[in-house]
Amino acid sequence: MRGVPVLRARSPVAGLRRRSLGPFGVLAQSVATTAPAGAMAAVPLLVAADAGRDAPWSVAVAAVLVGLVVACIAVFARRMAAAGGLYSFTAKGLGAGGAFACAVSVVVGYGLLVAAALVGASWYARALVERAWADVAGDTTLIGVAVIVVLAGAIAACAVRGIRLAGRVMLVIEGFSIALILTVLVVLAVRSGGSGSAPPVPDSSGFGGVAAGVLPAVAAFIGFDSATALGVEARRPFATVPRAVSVTAVGAALLYLTATVVHLAAPGVLPALTVAGTLGGSGPIALGAWAPLLLDAGIIASFSACTLAALNTLVRVLFSLAREGVAPALLGRTHRRHQTPAAAVAVTVPVLAAAPVVGTLAGVPPQALLGGLLAVSAVGFLAAYLMVCLAAPRFLARIGELTRGVVVVAGVAVPALAAVVVVALVTATGPLLPVVVGALVLAGVVGWFGLRRARPEALAGMGVYDETTTADVHTGSAR
Amino acid sequence: MSPAEAGSIGGRQPQAVRSALAVLEVVAAAGVGVTAKEISTELRIPPATTYRLLNLLVAEEYLVRLPDLRGFALGRRAANLAPAPLAIPTAARTVMDALRGRVRWGAHLAGFVGHRIVFLDPDPDHPPADPEELTRHPHATALGRLLLAEHEEHLPHGSLTRLTPATLVDRTELRLRLAEIAQTGVARQCGEFRADYGCLAVGVRAPGDDRLVAGLALTGAAARVATAGDEIVEVLRAHAAELAPLLA
Repeated sequence: MRGVPVLRARSPVAGLRRRSLGPFGVLAQSVATTAPAGAMAAVPLLVAADAGRDAPWSVAVAAVLVGLVVACIAVFARRMAAAGGLYSFTAKGLGAGGAFACAVSVVVGYGLLVAAALVGASWYARALVERAWADVAGDTTLIGVAVIVVLAGAIAACAVRGIRLAGRVMLVIEGFSIALILTVLVVLAVRSGGSGSAPPVPDSSGFGGVAAGVLPAVAAFIGFDSATALGVEARRPFATVPRAVSVTAVGAALLYLTATVVHLAAPGVLPALTVAGTLGGSGPIALGAWAPLLLDAGIIASFSACTLAALNTLVRVLFSLAREGVAPALLGRTHRRHQTPAAAVAVTVPVLAAAPVVGTLAGVPPQALLGGLLAVSAVGFLAAYLMVCLAAPRFLARIGELTRGVVVVAGVAVPALAAVVVVALVTATGPLLPVVVGALVLAGVVGWFGLRRARPEALAGMGVYDETTTADVHTGSAR
Repeated sequence: MSPAEAGSIGGRQPQAVRSALAVLEVVAAAGVGVTAKEISTELRIPPATTYRLLNLLVAEEYLVRLPDLRGFALGRRAANLAPAPLAIPTAARTVMDALRGRVRWGAHLAGFVGHRIVFLDPDPDHPPADPEELTRHPHATALGRLLLAEHEEHLPHGSLTRLTPATLVDRTELRLRLAEIAQTGVARQCGEFRADYGCLAVGVRAPGDDRLVAGLALTGAAARVATAGDEIVEVLRAHAAELAPLLA
């Protein structure tokens, strides 16, 4: 037998409230970040625009691809409990280079997801005000800004107060909005009986159409991995974290498929209901005034839970990076009583709220702002998923537990994810997305070389996780 | 696992249970650091099955993965299967006798084994409460609160039992109290476990890594505990410090 590794007395991620969060709190984190309620209302429209009547196939292909990513994430989540989530996993398979690239992708992904969800909540809140008080509401720009500022303050307080409270709040909000949106959709589809004012969804556009529809469908899943950042705080992380990730992915897949099938059956309902739809506004006439208002409320709630959940993950990733010395040490400070990464919350929230506030005040249409932020965020997530899938078989080979199944899963997932990223960059309208992604990649490369010069030991030590300590091992002696 | 899931054992499940127990046995016999490959070879179980069993046992915390992520060891939960004998060195008993000679209280030394509280050296003149009962209601006892201040995960789920009218059953308030204990190192309870009794306790920590291994407790009338001052706490602390190197 080889030498026994030295056990530390103290976990390198001490400071967080270890082993305290139950299975529901862990699940809530992944579900809220994915925000299936909000996505359900938008996905069928976006996918059907590309794939026509074959939209369910695009959603199914996306679900299978996400399933492969879940399998690769589970490889790690069953074996290590980390606060850094995906990038800590990648470090164990690809080393410092892969870990750094994945860390940049994850920070970009989650950071912009927080900003995007703030915009989303503000946009739907404005739409709600305009619908409900159409005659009095004039310019709602200031209302939009106020929503962003208040929501940002609220999620900062919740994130500092603790993951336990945050989890409960998020689960209630998300459950409420999923139930609401599902009810509204199905009731209206049955009532309208497919005789909406909108033209029927066009016929299938063949294989190319299905493939093009996969991109928006996959983008709707992003965030299902976010429970992996709760490894340190989960009570039984090796059981609850992989389960939360897979349950979220399966649940979201079922909801999206249902929403898409309902949309195909009654194509008039969704576009008339949401501001994202082509007919945004005519809903009240066709379907009664209550439905769009309820739907807006559900989507606002879903976006709000998403901001909080994405922030929770972002600050834990930054906390982990700070503990490794890759990010400034300040970000690794935790709140003494609540044991949460409070310093990271204080630093990130103002920055993430500033972008949507400036954008809104500058008069950028919320739809464009949300779309732009989400597009960059999605590329970040997809790149991170790609690296985790690449790292999984290498990690297993390193610890001597490689099986053929994982090789096959990663072998399919990696090229498929790469293809989706390429499609996203190539098919983007206008040069903005490729330019922003290019700039971020450049910044990452510069950061990498800067750190390799300034703090090589920090890069080499990437991938800290909640290691087994002397207290966890049973030695047989009286304690 | 829910009762529904565990309802019936059929198909290949009996073999899986047998294999899981065999894996536990191999890890116990081989000692800290045995790898999945070695276990698979030893038991002639296919590697993929072995990995799945190992992940399951790690998830249930009967096993732990070592920091290199390839080696395994028995986890703390495995300790519940075969409780360690409760013997303490004579030198520790001498310290306890010295303490009993100095104070007019019941003086007890209790160890923490996972979430359980076990008496290592109870005061023969003032028999303490049943340790099982202490373990069941850690929120209402000084020794239990010492443990919870360090390992909040041992707090029972569901509502906290109100043993006496004075018992603290509000989780938020309890959490504040635990934070205070973590800071001062002293846990106190006046008439919350039994109406007329109180308890004062400090932790005994391993000298190397500061791990909480035992609690040193004084019991007496609730009113006396409520008014006990710094002087008695200092006596407790001094004896706990003397016990530390003897117990770890």
